[in-house]
Amino acid sequence: MQVRFKVPIFDVKNLFFTVREQKILSNISFEIYSGEYVAVIGPNGGGKTTLIRMLLGLEKQTSGTIKIFGRTIKNFKEWNKIGYVPQRASLVDENFPATVEDIVKMGRIAKRGIFRSSSEEDARYIKDAMLKMDILDLKDKMVGVLSGGQRQRVMIARALASVPEILILDEPNTGVDIVSQNRFYALLAKLNKEDNITIVFITHDIGVIADDINRLFTINQKATICNNPKETLSCEEVTELYGRESHLISNHKHEHIL
Amino acid sequence: MIEMLSYDFMQRAFIAGIFIAILASISGTFIVLRRYSLMSETLAHASLVGVAVGLVAGYNPLWMAVIVAILSSWLIEYLRSHFSLYSDAILSIILSGSLAIAIIIVSMGGSFNNSLFSYLFGSILSVSDQDVITIMTFGTISLGFLLLFSKELYFISYDEEVAKTSGIKVDFLNFLLVSVVAIIIALSIQVVGSLLIGALMVIPTVSALQFRVGFRNTMLISLFFALFSVILGMSISYYFSIPSGATIVLLIIFIFIISLVVNKK
Repeated sequence: MQVRFKVPIFDVKNLFFTVREQKILSNISFEIYSGEYVAVIGPNGGGKTTLIRMLLGLEKQTSGTIKIFGRTIKNFKEWNKIGYVPQRASLVDENFPATVEDIVKMGRIAKRGIFRSSSEEDARYIKDAMLKMDILDLKDKMVGVLSGGQRQRVMIARALASVPEILILDEPNTGVDIVSQNRFYALLAKLNKEDNITIVFITHDIGVIADDINRLFTINQKATICNNPKETLSCEEVTELYGRESHLISNHKHEHIL
Repeated sequence: MIEMLSYDFMQRAFIAGIFIAILASISGTFIVLRRYSLMSETLAHASLVGVAVGLVAGYNPLWMAVIVAILSSWLIEYLRSHFSLYSDAILSIILSGSLAIAIIIVSMGGSFNNSLFSYLFGSILSVSDQDVITIMTFGTISLGFLLLFSKELYFISYDEEVAKTSGIKVDFLNFLLVSVVAIIIALSIQVVGSLLIGALMVIPTVSALQFRVGFRNTMLISLFFALFSVILGMSISYYFSIPSGATIVLLIIFIFIISLVVNKK
């Protein structure tokens, strides 16, 4: 059964992005609703990250409109409602002087304001975020000594500390082992179902999360929106999307695009 | 020690030196973490243009150094954000360009070479009462800004884009940070010297980073190293009649080597 949600968090219409006369994104339109779990797939260079960067206000579109919580991106100020975990999440500078707690505390900085020092409420949200990501016992450890999977959870805890309504993750799996990845996917599903956090997740591992997601966006300059991700994509569609002969392979219950 | 502090000029030098150690090490923490280390060298050379203009035109060299350093920091940020140039190339061009301008201005002034020498290498004898007041006034404002925005600046140093997406005014804070650093450098060149101030900003933090502790402790260790080097350096400089700036920098480098060896992986 398809669930329709009331509040559009992102309302994107006729979005174009061109760099030096080269079209990166062409006529993209979609809405993302509160409570959804959206996976974004597509070939490297297809414009997934560019699209996410535009949603976050880091890139300006050539034309088209983006509305966040009903406001145009120019007038939108409540950025702390959006938690962002970038591609390089687990590739931290090992010499950077930061404990796990230092990093998670960053999630409260924008919310805190300049002239107010940390409150008990801040401390509670920071602790909650660490508990949820199961990193409370690591709080005094330097982030540079953690494994890829642990760092990934720290970065999500930082995003969660601001109590976001939506979490945007851009392939944060680099340098993370398979066991940690699966644990990470389970955590995302839990955040979506139990905490009602809207999730937008750029990934190549579509098969693993097919059971969790509501919708699948495929981006390769243009966008195709699949409302029934369990049927995933037919081989023809994947071939068209990736621009070469591609196959969905099944490995136990997990599918990968090759 | 007591005998040394019975002289007015040493009292002034110590007050100025301690203030500068605090300012340089705290701002240096952000400079190093933001990969702006070369910027401190560039702004130190740019402030020499202000010193040269001040000496030749009869204005207070310290004030002129502050003004030119701030303008240069804005120029660097403007070039960095509006043109596709490598950051280190911009810094290198402004560093050599401003040194060339300073040399030409001073050569036209002829008899000011000795005064300029004290700004190049630092001279505790040349710190006047007015200089101490200027250092304390601007220094307190700069320190206030750094402490007020320390958490935001730390976040930006860690990940500028994520800081931006969380609603932190990254461009504004970057602009303020370079302005404050420009002020601190201009204030420091009289005590440490423009050729050496970069070391006082960068090396205490790099030494503190070897201990691999959190942000707060890194800043405190860096502060301790800077204060220790400045106080001991000025004392050695007084007793052995050697230049203060060079002595301070050699002490910091000594601390850096010890930190490196003690914390070897």
